[in-house]
Amino acid sequence: MLDSLFDDVKRMNKRQFIYQVLSFGMIVSSALMIWKGLMVVTGSESPIVVVLSGSMEPAFHRGDLLFLTNYPEEPVRVGEIVVFKVEGRDIPIVHRVLKLHEKNNGTVKFLTKGDNNSVDDRGLYAQGQLWLTKKDVVGRARGFLPYVGMVTIYMNEYPKFKFAVLACLAIYVLVHRE
Amino acid sequence: MTESTEVVKINKWDGAAAKNAIDDAIREVFTGDLKCKESFALIDGRLFLCALAVGVALYALLWDYLYPFPQSRLVLIICVSSYFILMGILTLYTTFKEKGIFVVAKEKVGNNNRVWEASSYVKKHDDKYSLVVVMREAGGAGGAGRCREASVNKSFATYIDVNGAVVQSVVLAEITKLYNSLSSEKKEK
Repeated sequence: MLDSLFDDVKRMNKRQFIYQVLSFGMIVSSALMIWKGLMVVTGSESPIVVVLSGSMEPAFHRGDLLFLTNYPEEPVRVGEIVVFKVEGRDIPIVHRVLKLHEKNNGTVKFLTKGDNNSVDDRGLYAQGQLWLTKKDVVGRARGFLPYVGMVTIYMNEYPKFKFAVLACLAIYVLVHRE
Repeated sequence: MTESTEVVKINKWDGAAAKNAIDDAIREVFTGDLKCKESFALIDGRLFLCALAVGVALYALLWDYLYPFPQSRLVLIICVSSYFILMGILTLYTTFKEKGIFVVAKEKVGNNNRVWEASSYVKKHDDKYSLVVVMREAGGAGGAGRCREASVNKSFATYIDVNGAVVQSVVLAEITKLYNSLSSEKKEK
């Protein structure tokens, strides 16, 4: 069975094999370039995020896919849902802006809170941090797609499953001719 | 007969696999039995485009890693747009330049250089393997170059036996027939 799987590869000559590897590379790089292109278009370093917690219910549920933009000319306003990063935390947080102070020179500081949380986010911020500023913002939610992100959540919860799926896809592409 | 034919065992109802196997057999006939020299310029061109595209993507990845996003914006714009332009060029190259040509073989006959190009095409869910062989001849002493074309449209079953092995002798006979008719036609005129 395994033997016949690699039959195609064995029969390839040098150039066919290089092409096979390159076409696999092109599949990966197409995805990468689409992602980077979205980054440029939306201005956000992570234009699509998945909601991981229920802290924004009933607006967003666990597993919702969010589309973000982060245009510097658009001001942050109270009531908007922002995605922000906190020092010392790997995963960005999606919460609503509760209070906002804006200076004449354009600098802002604001406080956020999850709709479903009973207290504001000061406890989540880095030690001693009372406000968020523009540089903490990853983007602002512009649209969402319910449930689609559950796939990503399962994949991250079962990393072995994720690697198995990825490995299968990679082997299929590498081994199968055209 | 070549050794590789002993190993080849394919499902002839898997169109792509059957096509690849027959393509390989025909390439072997041209480079082996007919003693032509294979020219890799066409496939090398495609490999170059692919490698360039992957290189551009890797460069973008590296640059974005070294200079995180807002800084890398300009480089990303350039890389992303050139990547998609390269993809477009690659598509044009495969559809209009390569056109399914899987072997280009060069041959020297007297003072003339002949180039043989074989391309094949299989429709989805069809068992007909259509082979087109083109012969180009540089017109030796000042004569205009000649270009002749012949095609065969036969089922996979013609070339592949019940065990799923490509019958090299049938392929050889078929190609020799095409080769002779294209070569001799030239002399009649």
